[in-house]
Amino acid sequence: MLRRSFLKVGLAGLAAPGLILRAQATEQPRPGSPFIVTYFDVPGIKGSRDVTDAGDGTLWVCGQRNGTLGRFDPRTSQIKVISLGEGAAPHGVVRGPDGAAWVTEGGQNAIARIDDKSHEVRLFPLPAGRERANLNTPVFDKKGILWFSGQNGIIGRLDPNSGKMEVFDAPRGAGPYGMTRTPSGEIWFASLAGNYIARVDTETAAFTVVDPPTEGQGARRVWSDSKNRIWVSEWNSGQVSSYDTESGSWKGWKLPGDKPRTYSVYVDDADKVWLTDFAANAILRFDPLTEGFHSFPSDRAGANVRQMDGRSGEAWGGESGTNRLVRIQTVKPA
Amino acid sequence: MRLGLAVLTALTLAGGTGASADELKRGELLFQGCRSCHALEPGRVAMAGPTLDGLAGRLFGAAAGFDYSPAFTAMREKGLRWDAERLKAYLRDPDSVVPGGWMSPPVGLGEADRAALAEFLLER
Repeated sequence: MLRRSFLKVGLAGLAAPGLILRAQATEQPRPGSPFIVTYFDVPGIKGSRDVTDAGDGTLWVCGQRNGTLGRFDPRTSQIKVISLGEGAAPHGVVRGPDGAAWVTEGGQNAIARIDDKSHEVRLFPLPAGRERANLNTPVFDKKGILWFSGQNGIIGRLDPNSGKMEVFDAPRGAGPYGMTRTPSGEIWFASLAGNYIARVDTETAAFTVVDPPTEGQGARRVWSDSKNRIWVSEWNSGQVSSYDTESGSWKGWKLPGDKPRTYSVYVDDADKVWLTDFAANAILRFDPLTEGFHSFPSDRAGANVRQMDGRSGEAWGGESGTNRLVRIQTVKPA
Repeated sequence: MRLGLAVLTALTLAGGTGASADELKRGELLFQGCRSCHALEPGRVAMAGPTLDGLAGRLFGAAAGFDYSPAFTAMREKGLRWDAERLKAYLRDPDSVVPGGWMSPPVGLGEADRAALAEFLLER
């Protein structure tokens, strides 16, 4: 099915200047540690979920529980809160080639573009017949096409220039969750219910399914490292695994502790792997070279960091259960 | 007689309202959106969320074999059970009913949708 769908939301309602609030930061001292952990309250954001670097020192954060997108500046502790509309429940956010924030806006079953200068909100609704797609993660390919996943069994693509949107049935039905782009330009996604990862042919939209070695592992999120290896957070098995797209080989590691639940994965620019374990209420840093884990338990119960992203020297996550952001800085040796 | 009493007790606990067949059908259709994490078959545990089989009157966090969040375990220890009002509130905003629980908010459901889904899950 090929449909063109584009809706410009009235500026009066949604592009009104966002509420600016001041956040409060709490630094967690770790004497002698090469890491600095800082928590930021983000007033006006409820259910702080996915985050991404906005490119100018600020960060975008989805407020899934109150239908908002926040733009947070850790230098000033100010946050601008942008309403995404009635019934909004944003899940994922990525910075586009145009500098704007592109959001999988599940509540309105649309892709939302939020201009980085004016904060104008534009919606690109999914076509009829694709209601309640349960939109999840957006990612841009090298040609500037936005690919997105929907847990109710869809993968879609949107041309931001023309507004042309196509939606495809995913293999094995419900489940598409995290998505990533490799340095070589491939697009991959994970299926939580389908228990697989898959490569998307960005020309034909054909899928190549790859089954991880652990049966029923619950592949939730994926992130590529610099060597085109896909790192997978396995919710059911409590493992992190990696798939080498060049050799076709797998490696896997169980997270420490009793019955870990691996929710998210993010790989930083030094190829260190950041994970979240809901059972331990912690962020973990995994070093593929030493195969060691470093744990950062939250200072509050039920933190539930569902996604991480970052920039050089900084890993960021949204504590969806505490309405905070967390930043972990890696201190360079003197 | 005992079976009838048990059903009546379960429906009372669940706050069931005798939904129409159309309402139940609509709830069943809406449940398709939950299938990426939940099954209706008893005892199926290899999914992201617990089976929703036998939800009416069930203790929070009590699906056999499922590894629940500490937040849900705490609710179970308090003796909270699923009923229509709690389920509708949970479908609207899970964190408001079980703070710190692991489920994300279901999206794209209006009040009538949540009511139909709750009726389906509690009366099936």
